[in-house]
Amino acid sequence: MLLRLAWRNIWRNPTRSLTVMGAVALGVWAALFMAGFVTGMIDGYTRSALENIWSHVQVHQKDFKTDYEARYFIPDADVLLTAIGSRPEVRGVSARTVAQGMVASGRGTRGIRIVGVDPEAEQGVSNMAASILEGEYLKGERSNELVVSSRLAEKIKLKLRSKVVLTFQDADYEIVSAAFRVVGIFKTSNTPFDDGHVFVTKKDLDPLVFPRWSDSLGLTGAGLPVAHELAVLLQDKSQAFALEAALESDHPGLWIENYRELAPDVAMYESQIAQISMIYLVIVMLALVFGIINTMLMAVLERYRELGMLMAIGMNKPRIFVMIVLETILLGLVAAPVGLLAGFLTVRYFSHQGLNLSRYSESLRAYGMDEIVYFDLMPVVYWQVPVLLVGTALLAAIYPAWKAISLDPATAIRKI
Amino acid sequence: MSAVISTQKVSKVYNPDKIPVHALSEVSVEIARGEFTAIVGPSGSGKTTLLNIIGGLDRPTSGNVEVGGFDIDALSDSALIDFRKNHIGFVFQSYNLIPVLTAWENVEFVLLLQKKPKAEREERVRELLRAVGLEDQMHKKPSELSGGQQQRVAVARALAPKPDYILADEPTANLDSASAENLLDIMAKLNREEQVTFVFSTHDQRVINRARRVITLVDGKISRDELREP
Repeated sequence: MLLRLAWRNIWRNPTRSLTVMGAVALGVWAALFMAGFVTGMIDGYTRSALENIWSHVQVHQKDFKTDYEARYFIPDADVLLTAIGSRPEVRGVSARTVAQGMVASGRGTRGIRIVGVDPEAEQGVSNMAASILEGEYLKGERSNELVVSSRLAEKIKLKLRSKVVLTFQDADYEIVSAAFRVVGIFKTSNTPFDDGHVFVTKKDLDPLVFPRWSDSLGLTGAGLPVAHELAVLLQDKSQAFALEAALESDHPGLWIENYRELAPDVAMYESQIAQISMIYLVIVMLALVFGIINTMLMAVLERYRELGMLMAIGMNKPRIFVMIVLETILLGLVAAPVGLLAGFLTVRYFSHQGLNLSRYSESLRAYGMDEIVYFDLMPVVYWQVPVLLVGTALLAAIYPAWKAISLDPATAIRKI
Repeated sequence: MSAVISTQKVSKVYNPDKIPVHALSEVSVEIARGEFTAIVGPSGSGKTTLLNIIGGLDRPTSGNVEVGGFDIDALSDSALIDFRKNHIGFVFQSYNLIPVLTAWENVEFVLLLQKKPKAEREERVRELLRAVGLEDQMHKKPSELSGGQQQRVAVARALAPKPDYILADEPTANLDSASAENLLDIMAKLNREEQVTFVFSTHDQRVINRARRVITLVDGKISRDELREP
């Protein structure tokens, strides 16, 4: 009876009800849009950070990361590389030689991290090859190839085939300089990363970093069988923790880190996706509360005499309270599917097409964000919305319902 | 006849702490089962206040009200609502039907509040709508009915829970002569044939002419209590 009465009551004034339903639907859509956008942005940032910079797990010699000194290398990196690469959950593993140094052109000098990679293995853990704007990625066909970011190239006036001099300390603390030639210019979505890295082949860098070992260990096309860093990309990032534990147990002398330890910002964003979606939902719902209160209050005040009559003929206060609450919830529940469907379709569209924010690409890249945001939304959000909406409606119904039950029937009946 | 309504020195003062308005002063009256009583008097004489108090819509400032053996003042607010639901039928000046429900549903509503079974509800609603001559209008909403028809639905609704008595506050005030006479015919018939007790507050001479007892209120006091031959 109450449900039927509540349902018919909300259609007494269709314009007003449709207006508030439109606001609810728009609010739900906006909440899903914002949550999808932010989740997609964070997801893009995380993916970009992991696939361009950090990968899922990194292995170093225990003391290497203290000062990035070249002498702290993994001595049997080739064996470890093969062992890790043979695990089923591993998509790719790459050995890197890393040196802190300077890059100098005829027009400028910059402090830089020089990363020596095996180009073939590196493409299994990094999207760097796909970030090449001009020229090509390292191939190892010619000696002393180097790729540099477009920002750094611009700062020290480099272009394709420009010659640069890299200066750094080798594993014996000797200063080494060597000339490299730019074969490719890249651009990732992370400006600080672009500003701070150049890439060369490991086979070119290793003899310079490890001069004392190069003859004894035997240089191959992939460089020396030693490395400062092993980067591991997994089928799924959730597998990082199990691999980390396994490697720590097998290699107590090495420093194993998962991506959350490597990139605390990624860990922070990742842990906040759920909260951020919820925050957007709550903000929208709070805004809706006031709209719904206003509508329901009007509905109650203009039915004052009728509510008085209902109390006079024996409808008790709890029933009147429930009727007003039901009306409020119905308003929300009728509108929610529309907003949910619109939100779902919008998120789905932008998850495929992406939202192009190239106008703000410079600012976004400064924060490591992609200029095209592919929306993403945790499925649980689609359940949270109706639940929150019912909560919102309940919250919004309290005051009008209280107003309704606190009237004096004798006075209300005579109200014009 | 036994008294179904009994007031003993009932007074009602509005705004007792500011500017007190004495709506009723020590009104004592007894109304027996089956009466057809009109409470009359000029505006502000206390007719509606008395009706509200004996209907359990308002409480007296002093005095005692007993209705059908219940001491109204001793009932809690929620008990008072239950009391109204089961013992009193109201007919209001402005009909006060639920606009989103049909005539049938309006009459059925009180029976739903009483949690009567479906079969009993249907039988009672059909019987009442037939009694007020609206059986063929049962699926119409109030907005589709004339004022007279709406007031007849209100009477049917008031009768639905088989109340001890019906309080009608200016029931003919918004009706044309024909509708008013028709409504009074129906109420008189119900009073005569089913011993339903009616208490009206009214200015309408047509109602006064039909009443078998006329209580006149002036300035919150009973100035005259006249019994008439049927």
